[in-house]
Amino acid sequence: MNVDLREFRAAFVAEAEEHLAAVQSLLLKVERAEREGKRAPGELRELMRLVHTVKGLSAMVGVEPIVALAHRMEAVLRQAERAGGLLNEQAIEVLLAAARAIESRIRSVAEERSPAAAPPGLLAALDNVELPAPEALAELPLDPLLASKLGPSERHQLEEGTLGGKRAVRVDFAPSAEKAAEGFTINTVRERLASLAEIVKVIPVTSPASGKVPTGLFFALLLLTDATDEAIADAVGVDPADVELVLLPRAPACASLPVDVEDDACLAEGRGGLLRVEVGRVDDAIAMLGGLVVTRARIVHAIDRVEAAGGDTRELRSLMLDTARQLRDLRAALLRVRMVPMAAVLERLPLLVRGLARASGKQVRLELDVGSVELDKTVAERLFPALLHLVRNAVDHGIEASDERVRAGKNEVGTVRIVSVTRDRNIELRISDDGRGVDREAVARHAGAPPPVTDAELLALLCRPGLTTRGEVDTTSGRGMGMDIVHKVVVRGLGGELALETRAGVGTTFVLRVPLTVAIVDVLTVRCGGERYAVPVSVVQEIVELAQEQVVDGVSAGRGFALRYRMFARRGRSVPVFDLGDALGTPTSAPAPHALLVRRGDGELVAYAVERVLGQQEVVVRPLLDPLVASPAVSGTTDLGDGRATVVLDLLALTSSLEATRGRRRAA
Amino acid sequence: MSNQSFERSVVPEILVVDDSKVMRDMISACLRSDPNISVTHASSGLEAIERLSLGRFDVLVLDVNMPDIGGLEVLEFVRAQDKLKDLPILVVTTRSDDVSRERVLAAGATRYLTKPFDPQTILSEVQALLGTVPAGVQTGEA
Repeated sequence: MNVDLREFRAAFVAEAEEHLAAVQSLLLKVERAEREGKRAPGELRELMRLVHTVKGLSAMVGVEPIVALAHRMEAVLRQAERAGGLLNEQAIEVLLAAARAIESRIRSVAEERSPAAAPPGLLAALDNVELPAPEALAELPLDPLLASKLGPSERHQLEEGTLGGKRAVRVDFAPSAEKAAEGFTINTVRERLASLAEIVKVIPVTSPASGKVPTGLFFALLLLTDATDEAIADAVGVDPADVELVLLPRAPACASLPVDVEDDACLAEGRGGLLRVEVGRVDDAIAMLGGLVVTRARIVHAIDRVEAAGGDTRELRSLMLDTARQLRDLRAALLRVRMVPMAAVLERLPLLVRGLARASGKQVRLELDVGSVELDKTVAERLFPALLHLVRNAVDHGIEASDERVRAGKNEVGTVRIVSVTRDRNIELRISDDGRGVDREAVARHAGAPPPVTDAELLALLCRPGLTTRGEVDTTSGRGMGMDIVHKVVVRGLGGELALETRAGVGTTFVLRVPLTVAIVDVLTVRCGGERYAVPVSVVQEIVELAQEQVVDGVSAGRGFALRYRMFARRGRSVPVFDLGDALGTPTSAPAPHALLVRRGDGELVAYAVERVLGQQEVVVRPLLDPLVASPAVSGTTDLGDGRATVVLDLLALTSSLEATRGRRRAA
Repeated sequence: MSNQSFERSVVPEILVVDDSKVMRDMISACLRSDPNISVTHASSGLEAIERLSLGRFDVLVLDVNMPDIGGLEVLEFVRAQDKLKDLPILVVTTRSDDVSRERVLAAGATRYLTKPFDPQTILSEVQALLGTVPAGVQTGEA
């Protein structure tokens, strides 16, 4: 016999990887549904199918670690299916971890290495997943054939689907050689239906052979759909009259109730009810609004020119003021659609902290005090991984073991606390622990730098790429993102600020300040070195007339910035003033009489002198993604209304980069 | 012999049912190493039921765990039909499937094979079901 199963390895890897990718995206879909309080029975069944296939394949090529993982994943999914399509956050977390573990073992197979054993902790976690008990099902008026074949997951799918305004229909397909010749087989019928309907269940039924059922076999297909009977019949190759309505959508049922009896419930649902909208649609609308904002700026420029030519523009000006207000209101309304409650973003943290505490053998309590703060979905999505990292760090590195805490006279249970408040148009998140504080000496040793004096310097060291104070990677904090990524997410990605307060033996607090929204930004436009720049208004504390201040030359010995600078006093503190053109490498001889006063994350003030402040307007910032042109001091570009790209500066990053130069010089 | 009442085609036709394409390809490669065997694929239990109602097969090789309707449901459905009640069926399972040998046999499987299996084993099993070699005996052809 000359069949060698090893020849199938490449095919195995390809199929398994494809399934794994689908598993991960389905899990995320289920997670989204779960957060919205919806069930996802269809997705769950698809997950079971994929995981099972991966298991069977792996058994065939003898990859036991994958078989073990996939088997337990299947068990969790089956349990969820019995519960009617419900998974919880903890279960999804564990399933995702298992999917990742399988993925890495498939890669081993691809590279002809022997895959690592399944991590026992992960297997145990899969075994210990607890899911809610199955919920009682509403009785659905179904005919006995369907009723006897439907499991809880399918009943929930029907309930969910009809509640969502779809109707359930049954259509029978009887295969025959003639039908197959016309292109109607159970496979092609299912493929065609997939674009018209959710296929809830297909039941094979035998009946005495007849004209309609030539082979004595037909398939009863139960569908959820908003397509017409004609479209369904067309896909199955039957008469529209053969499409049988099984269940009505729920909403019409509500509307048809006598108004005087049930109108309150109906109206309440209509008025205060929830509308689920794809994020993409809201984003499209916001992008269009961005276009409007640019057009408005162009019109204002045109009016300027008309006025310069001696035209009467008073009425136009007043109309443009109205437009500005209306655009602002429209923007606010659109952005509100994208807002999610902070509490919802953080709701999976308690479980996570519990898991982390268990894994590290510590006792940790998580306190959340986030009130009713809401933030933009994009901001939330970008912020969450950074937050997760800080919480992991707090549990892993901050909080001490119980005995150590008792010896130090602390409560044996450590506390991680997350507080969020909104300030102006920013959200401030404080993640604090009452642990041992950051070990300055250890951080300095690992970074190969002198011990930092201030918390800001310590944070800068912590945020150096690749820094870890652990000898080896541990199970939780060692993986995923480092502080440098947290810094990047918060400061570069979201235009926010990151600060640190830590005291040995008392605890550590990270402060994240990020804008509530990112789509449209108020900027100041300034000129210096012959160039025009935009600076987000949110970072500028004040515009200072330098002529009004006592400006003196800076003393390098004290602060040692890389650039020449001047200083002036503000509320008893000396503030360095950099020429913005100098700082950006485009020096100019023109006088720079105005300065933008910026407050850094650590509370210190810095000022940047410019030739002119041109104005203030709302712009849409496009991030610079091309690494060739990306620079730490640039957060993106924008169109101010004249069709030219204008650089939007990140003054906080610019300050840091001026300081980094200083740090390197001092270390050298 | 179990398949006595079954009229033999000139070249025995095997229906291989598995939702994984790689598995179907692997099993066909094993079976096709016998030039006297022809193989047809079905990618789901429903397709298998359809094919069985439209054509004639000498042996069904059936994966036990599939989406929509699984191997056990296919077995029960097939055995409930007069013209298929004697069809030899080889059921393929994974060791960790929560399906016992007894349950598979009770549902109507003729023989039972657990993954992973080597190419010779599945060929011998199918040949045994075709009556070309007795069950459980190696052909020695390897």
